[in-house]
Amino acid sequence: MKPFARMTARVLRSGLPGLIALLVGIAFFEFVQPLVIASFGGASGLDAIMSRIPPALQVFVRARPEFLAMSGLAGYLSLGFTHPLYIVLAGAAVVGFAARTLAGEMDRGIIQIPLARPVSRQSVYLSRALGAVIVCTLLALSGPVGMIAGMLYARPNGALEFQNFGAVALAGFSLFFAFGGITLCGSAAANTAGRVVGWSLGILILSYFIDYFAGVWRLLESITFLSLFNYYDPTRALVDGHVDPNNLIFLIAVGVVTALLGMVIFIRRDLPA
Amino acid sequence: MQPNAPVISTTNLVKRYGSVTALDGIDLNVPQGLIYGFLGPNGAGKTTTIRLLMGFIRPTSGSAHIHGHDCWRDGVRARADLGYLVPADALYPNMTGNALLEYMATLSARPPRLRQTLLEALELGQDVLKRQLSTYSKGMKQKLALTAAMQTAPPLLVLDEPTDGLDPLVQRSFEQVLAEVRRQGSTIFMSSHDLAEVERSCDRVAIIRDGRIVAEETINELRKKHRRIAEVTFTGTPPAGIEVAIGAEIIRRDGNLVVLSLEGGVASLVRVLAQRDDVADLLLTLPSLEDVFLGYYNLNRNGRTEIAPDSTAPRPHTTAGVARR
Repeated sequence: MKPFARMTARVLRSGLPGLIALLVGIAFFEFVQPLVIASFGGASGLDAIMSRIPPALQVFVRARPEFLAMSGLAGYLSLGFTHPLYIVLAGAAVVGFAARTLAGEMDRGIIQIPLARPVSRQSVYLSRALGAVIVCTLLALSGPVGMIAGMLYARPNGALEFQNFGAVALAGFSLFFAFGGITLCGSAAANTAGRVVGWSLGILILSYFIDYFAGVWRLLESITFLSLFNYYDPTRALVDGHVDPNNLIFLIAVGVVTALLGMVIFIRRDLPA
Repeated sequence: MQPNAPVISTTNLVKRYGSVTALDGIDLNVPQGLIYGFLGPNGAGKTTTIRLLMGFIRPTSGSAHIHGHDCWRDGVRARADLGYLVPADALYPNMTGNALLEYMATLSARPPRLRQTLLEALELGQDVLKRQLSTYSKGMKQKLALTAAMQTAPPLLVLDEPTDGLDPLVQRSFEQVLAEVRRQGSTIFMSSHDLAEVERSCDRVAIIRDGRIVAEETINELRKKHRRIAEVTFTGTPPAGIEVAIGAEIIRRDGNLVVLSLEGGVASLVRVLAQRDDVADLLLTLPSLEDVFLGYYNLNRNGRTEIAPDSTAPRPHTTAGVARR
């Protein structure tokens, strides 16, 4: 096997048990969503409950009755892709991987193993970036796969186009890829994985809450464009199978630009002692 | 590269970390086919030099070349024919020994033709190699790292403190392997803070102190210059004037024990003591590196050569060194 492929396989294998646990956790979380909806009597049962919730609380579950009445089952299911637990699990996976494979390896000196060989820093970095892309793809697929399984098992009341899960996966991938690029960039510049994880999760959480609270706090509305979650709309993706190309391009561009910046930093920097 | 060009060459190599100067204008030329020792106390700049050669860090000024290729700008080609000893604590803990050797050989793109020989010499069996590295002791990791560095028989080996963590018997086996690799045409650049190790293994040595090369010479020249400490225990009172007969200086007398500082070889000591029948014990030690700098290079304040009293503390090697000579 070529060195590049071996390095990519190596970085993926090094954190495989943790990654599998997170993927299974995400899939299980989404598997449960249709079961919960079915337990309330499907989309129509939830419509009746949602109409009694005050508007401020509706913001917290990211659902307005008029929208949900129009979007039906797909609208309720999409809440599983904006839920904080889903974001935290997926964020931990992508941030943990990108932080561990560069800053973590530099911190422990392991990065010397490939860099002492006739392997360029670009190759070492790109093998990590490819690993991050694979992790983002698996994360983006695990949620929809879990939810499809839950749908087939619980069969809740309401209409849903299964092919729309492809759009959900695409939206999820673009978001995770953007955070992956940002984390890789930080990982290339830092000396310890802990610091990168802290900063990246901080950006992710801040970004999430700017978007989340903008619905009830007008002051935040003017800066929602700064939040990456502003460009992530799994509800529309699941309801009508559409992903806004502008959002997609923006998130992918953030991931690519930050990842390339990380490569430039990694190529030029001194490795820590 | 020219046929007689040095395998490693550095020109006015400087590395600064902020206001701290780690290397201050290093000029090195390592000829082909030698075991070249890079000797210096901890913190002298040995590892910084090696990290510059490996392209892990960028020089502040000056340049370093391996086989004619700039180590920073053209690192891939500079490392093409090179084996490097990765620190023992910088190995994947969840890999098995076998997997690590295979992985590192793949990245080197050279067949591991020396692997089996090295595993036998360093006493690493398959039962050990099948285990994860997290279960290895420091010495076992060091042996594995040495095997990984040398398994492809690279034309150049860069070894930073290679015997660190090895027990004396394995050290000797390792030195024999080094000699064999050298015989096959490889050049070996190894750093050490152990004068005895460098004396046993190397053909030529550069001595670094405070980021500067203070000496560069053959091992024979080094041996001639530095002092040895002889601890002679007599069965009775030590004879007066023995230091004059030997041509040495007395550092200390303690009952039946006399501690002498010898300059040059040990021939006169052996000759004088062989004529006596009241010698109970003899222990020869090498001076510490600081003593070498102080005594050998006259770097003490008053310009006189001195051996510090604590340099008489026994150090690991020595009687073997006498026997060898």
